[in-house]
Amino acid sequence: MLQVLAIGLISAGIYALFAVGIVLVYRGTKVLTFAGGEVGTAALYVAAFLVTDHGMPWVVGALAAVLIAAAAGLAFEAGLVRWSREADPVVTSILTVALSATIFATEFNLHGNNPTTLETPVRIGSGLDVDGVIVSPIQIAAIVVAALLGFGLQSFLRRTDFGLAILAAADDAPATLLVGVRVSRIRLVLWASSFGLAAVAALLVEPTVGFITPGYASTLYLGGLAAAVIGGLDSLPGAVVGATVLGLAQAFADKYFKGLGLSGLSYVVTLTLLLVVLLVRSYAPEIRKRLAAPVEVTA
Amino acid sequence: MTTLQLVEVTAGFGAVTVLHGIDLDVKDGEIAGVFGLNGAGKSVTMKTIAGIVPARSGQIWFDGVDITRLDAESRVEMGMGHVPQGRQVFANLTVEENLRLGAYTLRRRDKSRYPAVLDSVYDRFPVLRERRTQKAGTMSGGQQASLAVARALVNEPRLILVDEPSAGLSPKMQGDLREVLQVVKDSGVTMVLVEQNVAFGLSLVDTANLLQTGVVVHTAPVAELDEDTLATHLGIGRVLAGATGSALTARKKR
Ligand SMILES: Nc1ncnc2c1ncn2[C@@H]1O[C@H](COP(=O)(O)OP(=O)(O)OP(=O)(O)O)[C@@H](O)[C@H]1O
Ligand SMILES: [Mg+2]
Repeated sequence: MLQVLAIGLISAGIYALFAVGIVLVYRGTKVLTFAGGEVGTAALYVAAFLVTDHGMPWVVGALAAVLIAAAAGLAFEAGLVRWSREADPVVTSILTVALSATIFATEFNLHGNNPTTLETPVRIGSGLDVDGVIVSPIQIAAIVVAALLGFGLQSFLRRTDFGLAILAAADDAPATLLVGVRVSRIRLVLWASSFGLAAVAALLVEPTVGFITPGYASTLYLGGLAAAVIGGLDSLPGAVVGATVLGLAQAFADKYFKGLGLSGLSYVVTLTLLLVVLLVRSYAPEIRKRLAAPVEVTA
Repeated sequence: MTTLQLVEVTAGFGAVTVLHGIDLDVKDGEIAGVFGLNGAGKSVTMKTIAGIVPARSGQIWFDGVDITRLDAESRVEMGMGHVPQGRQVFANLTVEENLRLGAYTLRRRDKSRYPAVLDSVYDRFPVLRERRTQKAGTMSGGQQASLAVARALVNEPRLILVDEPSAGLSPKMQGDLREVLQVVKDSGVTMVLVEQNVAFGLSLVDTANLLQTGVVVHTAPVAELDEDTLATHLGIGRVLAGATGSALTARKKR
């Protein structure tokens, strides 16, 4: 039981990190971003280039990875997103798919399918023994960072003027300009933070996976997308909760249905959860209405 | 002294030119009315003054500064406030959050002033104080109209651009709104007021600018306006002209 919990929470931490970035962009721009996984992977290649190939300390590589990812976010907003803004957010979402594919192709061209490694200092830590499952310090860090981000960003959005401006710009950008908010700056900050977050997530995930290949974070990123949707897509704490539910559900299914010999069990769990959440959400208002309606009495 | 001046301003979208050389003079402390039919270019004029729609030629002067090429945000920082058409309150934010955003540039300049300013705005709009934690989108049309005006005032602007504030309000709510705008004017804020409802507009403005397909065809102090001019330039039919005419008479008596 404890084992399953530990395994579930490890995945939850990873999903949550990705989900928080997804929800942040969604809240601020109504765009669903699919690029986080590949952006994170590319950032890892940057870190590996500096650390593995050139012997720099891990911290330097990690910092460079996050900064370069954030800069890429700025460039993506200023170079592409800004010009598609007149169109539907769906168009921008598709742009993120294109970006993801482009990054993947570039990685593949540069590295082929050979796994690259990144020596992470924290991996050497002893870790926590939970009923036989070793939870490494970095996995604990992933969960903690995700939870802090989820709840911290939420109160940042509501409490600070800049946060409020982010929420307002998402709903009505022209009206937000008219109160004197530099909306274009907000968008830059949002995309830079989301790409930066993707890099942070990838750095915290890498030791769990153990190696880097093109597209390696994609499956995990899908988990993040699912977690974001389960959490309601526009709630940052919801993203963390969604990730926890998803991680635990997968871990439990893995433990108790393993005997069925199904491959791709985690996909089945993810899709089932998504389906249930979406169904409940679309029928909830109707059910509530029926429950609240006065009972008809026939004579 | 002139607060706002437009000289031969043109603007448009793509191949379409909407404003064909607008001239407008707004004196310190007055309410300048802009009247015209649907599609005459009233809102585009407001958006060009605001800086959301770029002027293609001509100049816009605000407090003696040429702001033609200045971005919208800087114009707000300079003391321009907006009550856009359709009000555009932030529906998912509370009343208080709307006001906090309204004071965005004031709070960046001097946060300590905000509580006092907010308090005075709440005094002017008691209904907003009562409902400060309510989501703006769930308020009535009249309350949203108040919020839209309050959101502009809480930044302590010197000039506010008000686009069709009376639209969709009952006669009673229009009366309340008129009082509010009068108080705003009396407090020394200069105003550009766009109105479809000419009767409502005439009850407030000091000068009237009549707009026809992107050109100001007639400008006059209300005292010098007559029904014929209004009818000619606004194409107002007899019945409507009656209401407008009595509003005009009432206004001239004051
Ligand atoms: N974003 C835009 N793109 C293209 N054309 C526009 C745009 N905004 C306004 N127009 C056109 O400019 C003209 C003037 O529009 P405007 O909104 O200024 O009218 P208005 O005088 O405010 O009318 P109303 O009383 O109905 O609000 C219209 O023909 C309109 O179709
Ligand atoms: Mg209009």
